[in-house]
Amino acid sequence: MIVPLAYVVLAPLTSIDAAQQAGLPLLTDRLWFRIATTVAMFVVMASGWNIIGGLTGYASFGNIAFFGLGAYTVGVLVANRGWPFPLALLVAPALAALFALIVGLPLLRLRGHYFAVATLGVGVAVGEVINNTSQLGASTGLTLPIVRSDLLFFYLMLAAAGVAVLTTWIILRTRFGYGLLAIRENEEAAAVIGVNTTFYKVAAFCIAAALTGLAGGIFAQWSSFVNQENVFAISDNVQMILMAVVGGAGTVLGPVAGAIALELLIQTLAGGGSGAVYSQIGLGVLLAACVIFIPRGVIDFFGGRSRLSLRYFRRTLRETSV
Amino acid sequence: MSLLAVRDLSKRFGGVNALTGVTFGVDEGDVLGIIGPNGAGKTTLLNCISGIYRPDAGDIRWNSASITGMAPYRIAHLGIGRTFQIVRPFPSMTVRENTAMGALFGRPHGHLQPPAALAEADEVLEVVGLGEKGHYPVLRLTVPDRKRLEVARALAMRPRLLLLDEVMAGLNDVEVEQALQMVRRVRESGVTIVLIEHVMKVIVGICNRALVLHFGRTLVEGPPAEVLKDRRVIEAYLGQRYARDLEPPPPDGEGNPR
Amino acid sequence: MSQFAQQVVLGLLLGGVYVAVALGFSLVWGILNIVNLAHGALVIVGSYITWDLFARLHIDPFLSLPVDALALFVIGYTLQRGVINRVIRAPLLFTFLLTFGINLVIVSLLLLIFTADFRSVTPSYSGSGLHLGSVIIPYIRLGGLVVALLLAGVLWAILNRTRIGAAILAVGADRDAAQLVGVDLRHIYALTFAIGAAFAGVAGGIISTFQSITPTAGDPYTLQAFAVVILGGLGRVSATIAGGLAFGLIEVLGQSAPGLGSGYANAIAFVVLVAVLVVRPRGLLGRLA
Repeated sequence: MIVPLAYVVLAPLTSIDAAQQAGLPLLTDRLWFRIATTVAMFVVMASGWNIIGGLTGYASFGNIAFFGLGAYTVGVLVANRGWPFPLALLVAPALAALFALIVGLPLLRLRGHYFAVATLGVGVAVGEVINNTSQLGASTGLTLPIVRSDLLFFYLMLAAAGVAVLTTWIILRTRFGYGLLAIRENEEAAAVIGVNTTFYKVAAFCIAAALTGLAGGIFAQWSSFVNQENVFAISDNVQMILMAVVGGAGTVLGPVAGAIALELLIQTLAGGGSGAVYSQIGLGVLLAACVIFIPRGVIDFFGGRSRLSLRYFRRTLRETSV
Repeated sequence: MSLLAVRDLSKRFGGVNALTGVTFGVDEGDVLGIIGPNGAGKTTLLNCISGIYRPDAGDIRWNSASITGMAPYRIAHLGIGRTFQIVRPFPSMTVRENTAMGALFGRPHGHLQPPAALAEADEVLEVVGLGEKGHYPVLRLTVPDRKRLEVARALAMRPRLLLLDEVMAGLNDVEVEQALQMVRRVRESGVTIVLIEHVMKVIVGICNRALVLHFGRTLVEGPPAEVLKDRRVIEAYLGQRYARDLEPPPPDGEGNPR
Repeated sequence: MSQFAQQVVLGLLLGGVYVAVALGFSLVWGILNIVNLAHGALVIVGSYITWDLFARLHIDPFLSLPVDALALFVIGYTLQRGVINRVIRAPLLFTFLLTFGINLVIVSLLLLIFTADFRSVTPSYSGSGLHLGSVIIPYIRLGGLVVALLLAGVLWAILNRTRIGAAILAVGADRDAAQLVGVDLRHIYALTFAIGAAFAGVAGGIISTFQSITPTAGDPYTLQAFAVVILGGLGRVSATIAGGLAFGLIEVLGQSAPGLGSGYANAIAFVVLVAVLVVRPRGLLGRLA
């Protein structure tokens, strides 16, 4: 635990050359930086999903729309309009949150199945519309001026991850957080004790959107290229939900644990030869296994309440099987 | 001037007229009992008052201002609290936290923060008799205690009017007696109460007025003792034959009782 | 005017396909309360089976439909009994994630076996059609519509005229009460899903006759099936027929509208979906869900 943390702390203070001279492994490895940045990105996305799905109980299957919108905002502003990246990065989460407000008001009136698939539709439809819009690059996509600095983007994503986790932590300590939990546990009861459920739900949705949009915005400049395939990817959509759920939906550190565990697993699977397809199969099987055996997430084992054992699995199965 | 005035309230579900032309008032300090056979529309009435249903016709006034069709959270902020017939606690929170939720969200002005709300919760839990069980997870509570928790959460809102939906259902005699004490304590703290009940002991024991609903309409209204002896009420609950049997026979032709 | 008539005809024919696709989806949703995100994948498996039989053994696609049904029946039964039954009493999110995972696995397996190359099934009568005045009705599409309506009839007959169907409806109405009268829940669940999968397979077979197939071609059909069920309503076969035909019409007429094109399939489905949910959640013919 200490060693990875030490590396994370040291990273901003070194450069790859300096690390090479000092003989420090990992910090000289560009791949490590890439993976670490990706993990941080998913921490932001999973935490974002956690706020609307885990805390509020409205499982959105379309948060990828916010990622894509954030990415395209930066893409359009930087590539087409020549804005400086930092300024564009401020607009990205704001635009995503605005979109969440517009879409959230009608959609958050739906429950369960309907909300989930309606948001799935949003995620798919937004990508499709953008893919057909020539001013936004259509299927060719947008290319941004390249900024070559692993360190910068790692640090940036890490900061975003910090913001995401901090936001979740703060929410859970305030009245707002209790309101969200109440909505999740029993929306009608929440309403009659005075929770303005519409406002709270929409607010949670907008916060989730802002965080996810921020991640998308950073990603856009990091990869220097934005198109439907890489910022509206269904696999990313699933991954962020999976990470939050596997890690522990509704907790502060669950999405972090999930993001780390899953991304490392995916990288390992992807490295094994036939690459993408096998990692997809692995992902699918993993998803199924987690949903069946560890629905409350990995974090359940860290709180001291449960222990990884056969009995745990048997008990879970009994609770949810027919 | 009534605290709560319901006028000509109607609510339909598809082909079923759940409520038709219901009219009554509640004054400050009242304990109004609403009784009636199953399906009479009692819970629907409460749902309309607390904002969960929007009435199709009629008017509900709180301190002379109309609250018909208002959002539930705004009605809560006006000072109307309610419990549900099938209790709806927040399962992942403790008894104390559940109660605190009422204090946290039920005040219209000057929102409490979580620590202050939790402190308030402790006081309320004493009133309902759950003082020792504050740290219990909800799932550990017995049925009577869960009903107490429902009441506690609503009380923590500091309501002026409390709507209780069959708080006594499923309780044995001893538990009913204890619950009755609890309701008395609530009344003494200055809260106006409207309660739906099937347990007549409660209606007679604590209500100063009773209202009978039958097939969505108001049948009779008045002091409990009178209402319960009213022929129409007996007929509604037990049928015409019993109503006839329970009445003293009419005198014979010379005016002599038979 | 004749152009419009042609569009309407095409819309109805396409609607037939949607009816076929949505029947199984609606059954599983209505009875098991599962929104099966792997439905599109099951459809495409049916397409591949038909294609394989056509490419290797030159079997006419319409003749291979029963094979599709049987194969998907077995796959569906196994899936439900072995996997999905384990999370059925968990909150909705989990069945969602599970079927999503199953979708990933099936699509990836198809990628491994068949690669991403586009495949088509082109029987000899592919290009020709019935000429009614100035309107052309392609034989392939007409066949698809006929099969779809037959499927609907079969489903209705199963549900309303057989003992098994009564058991299925009972489970859908009240799971616990059904158990009390002796229904084997696990078996009926698996059977229902299997029937739904079988219908998906047949729909896939039909689709392969007019569309080039690739492993990911099934995904849009899941969202569209959802939109069809929402549009038509849950709970009755006639509702699915109405929804499917209406959706086909909307899509064809919508895509010929200026500014839109075939790339907007998902967007159109989504807009229809949200519009119906907001305006008339019950759908055209459904009972209150």
